[in-house]
Amino acid sequence: MSKPRIVHLLDDTTTGGVTRVVTHICNSQRLANQAHHEIRVIPKNTADVPVIEADLIVSHLTISWRGLAGLIALRAKHPNISLIHVEHSYTQSFTALNVAKRERFFSLLRTAYSLFDTVVGVSRAQYSWLVTRDLVAAERSCVIRSAVDLSAFAALEAPTGPCRVFGAIGRLEPQKGFDTLIMAFSQCQEPDARLRIFGRGGQHEELERMAQIDPRITLEGHAPDPVRAMSEVQAVLLPSRWEAYGLVAQEALAARRRTLVAPVDGLCDQLEDGAHRVARNTVADWTRAIDASLTADLSKIPDSQARLSERVAGVFERNWEGLIARSLVKELPVAA
Amino acid sequence: MYRATIVVPAFNVAATLGATLTSLQAQTYQDFEVIIVDDGSTDNTKQVAEQFLDDRRFWYIQQANRGLSGARNRGIAESSGEFIGFCDADDLWHPDKLRRHIRHLDRNPNVGVSYAGSQMIDAEGRLLSVKQSPRLRGVTAAHILKRNPIGNGSSAVIRRAVFDDIAYVHHEAYSAFSYFDETFRQSEDIECWLRIALLTDWDFEGIRGLLTYYRVAGDGLSAKTERQLDSWENVIAKHRSLHPAFFARHEPAARAYQLRYLARRAISNGDGKTARAYLKRAWSQSYEPLWAEPIKSGVTILAAPVASLFKVSAPAQKALVKANVPTLRQSSQSPFQPILKGDHYE
Repeated sequence: MSKPRIVHLLDDTTTGGVTRVVTHICNSQRLANQAHHEIRVIPKNTADVPVIEADLIVSHLTISWRGLAGLIALRAKHPNISLIHVEHSYTQSFTALNVAKRERFFSLLRTAYSLFDTVVGVSRAQYSWLVTRDLVAAERSCVIRSAVDLSAFAALEAPTGPCRVFGAIGRLEPQKGFDTLIMAFSQCQEPDARLRIFGRGGQHEELERMAQIDPRITLEGHAPDPVRAMSEVQAVLLPSRWEAYGLVAQEALAARRRTLVAPVDGLCDQLEDGAHRVARNTVADWTRAIDASLTADLSKIPDSQARLSERVAGVFERNWEGLIARSLVKELPVAA
Repeated sequence: MYRATIVVPAFNVAATLGATLTSLQAQTYQDFEVIIVDDGSTDNTKQVAEQFLDDRRFWYIQQANRGLSGARNRGIAESSGEFIGFCDADDLWHPDKLRRHIRHLDRNPNVGVSYAGSQMIDAEGRLLSVKQSPRLRGVTAAHILKRNPIGNGSSAVIRRAVFDDIAYVHHEAYSAFSYFDETFRQSEDIECWLRIALLTDWDFEGIRGLLTYYRVAGDGLSAKTERQLDSWENVIAKHRSLHPAFFARHEPAARAYQLRYLARRAISNGDGKTARAYLKRAWSQSYEPLWAEPIKSGVTILAAPVASLFKVSAPAQKALVKANVPTLRQSSQSPFQPILKGDHYE
């Protein structure tokens, strides 16, 4: 008997992080033993969803009103298989900062989620929000923390000496909060400290202008090799305004870098893996956290961080394996 | 376990605490506990509180002075209720207040902060003509920044989940978690509401009625207005990085409202010169208060020169009162005593 076929749907605007997580699923040997995984890219918000030959479809699409017709079509055209949706985008802080009409937005999410058999949250914090706001029923949802292959990061030398080189890695967009970071870092007194910002995006010019006040801050541009960028810093800072999970934090933790996160959404999940919490996502609190890191002992690495790479990979595969096994057996309604 | 917890921060309030606690005991909804946090009082606040401790729902906690935020944080830390209300120890609650807020929160799962209007009372507990009748629905972060519809510290009943969402560990904090920012001794309310509005997706919504009796202080506060403005500016500066675009858009108008409020406070003190200076600064920030609230702004402008003469004619005073300018009408004190305490917006 041939293996079940699982199709992962992405749309053509899907961000790099999501693509990497899906690729990680497709490359997993353990998951390949269970089923055949493949990626299918469809146009964003298309209503004309094709009929897909598959035993299970996993949506990694971004939900929107314009895309809702497509999701309804997806459900209608695949009545006899399970559909899973992985919510990579929306969180409580996203809603707080971006959504004016919340009731309307929640209606969209409830409607869209109701089309799927299972909705997957990518962090415990996000999952808790999905369930407590009644966006999806607890029995139809679960949490699988996102993961990518961390082995290359784990293979990096652990940083030594006093903590002086701080890194910020990600798209240069307001979401990532690097503007806050530049203001906070410029108030830190240590002359040998450096802040290196890797990435590209719409905020580039604004950040460059802000960074001019302090020669210790440099914009490094896009890092095609994230492992190399990681190797060049001793600590990684994540001041995101919203963040469903925060893969960069996982990479930094696996590379045994000192990792500081804002207490926002999925970044809170990173604390149990060894990240340090910045009290609040304000300039003053970031300055304080950076100052505290200057005197931190980098040789002290929490156990939770040391073997993160293996642990994360195992948990991620096991969770997906379980979800797929459950979803392949779809209970059909009994005819009356 | 009680359904609701009412936190009563108490600092040297022996004169008024009894009435406050009596008003809570008389609530029509009875499934609640009261946590009295004595914030280092030096009068006999403790003796007054002890008279209520026969009621098993009343708890008394003493701590070294940490300020209003510190007292509230302690109260939240000790609370067991699913909903948390606050009642300052000189204010009173309408007997049906708690029941109505709990009904409101039960029926509206997206609402995290439920509030209502307030009726001002004087030192002797007599009703004044001044009311706070805030916007009740469709409240956004911009409304909170500009007009603070919650109004005062004894008005809101808040879901515990909201506090869980904004809890943080303060580097100098006394308790494990902070909710209100203890580094602020003024503007602590607006600081917390703004943080809820910008960091969480809980809705703010008001219910009809004047459900808090808010006691207004009779002491002169004019010297504090500039300091009050400073603390308000600190709140803004602290939060600006959370959402720069939001502040770029709404901050000037918010500052104009704040300055207009200070002008009105100055008028209450009979200081027309200061009032006019504040108004000038207000319009340099934004004209929004003029077109959004023309009557209130117009009356303030007209009242400023009148106040500087320090003698308001009877019709002018009537106009002021009618337009809700804070002046004491029924008190035996001078009509120009400030009647709003603390740093709340009218």
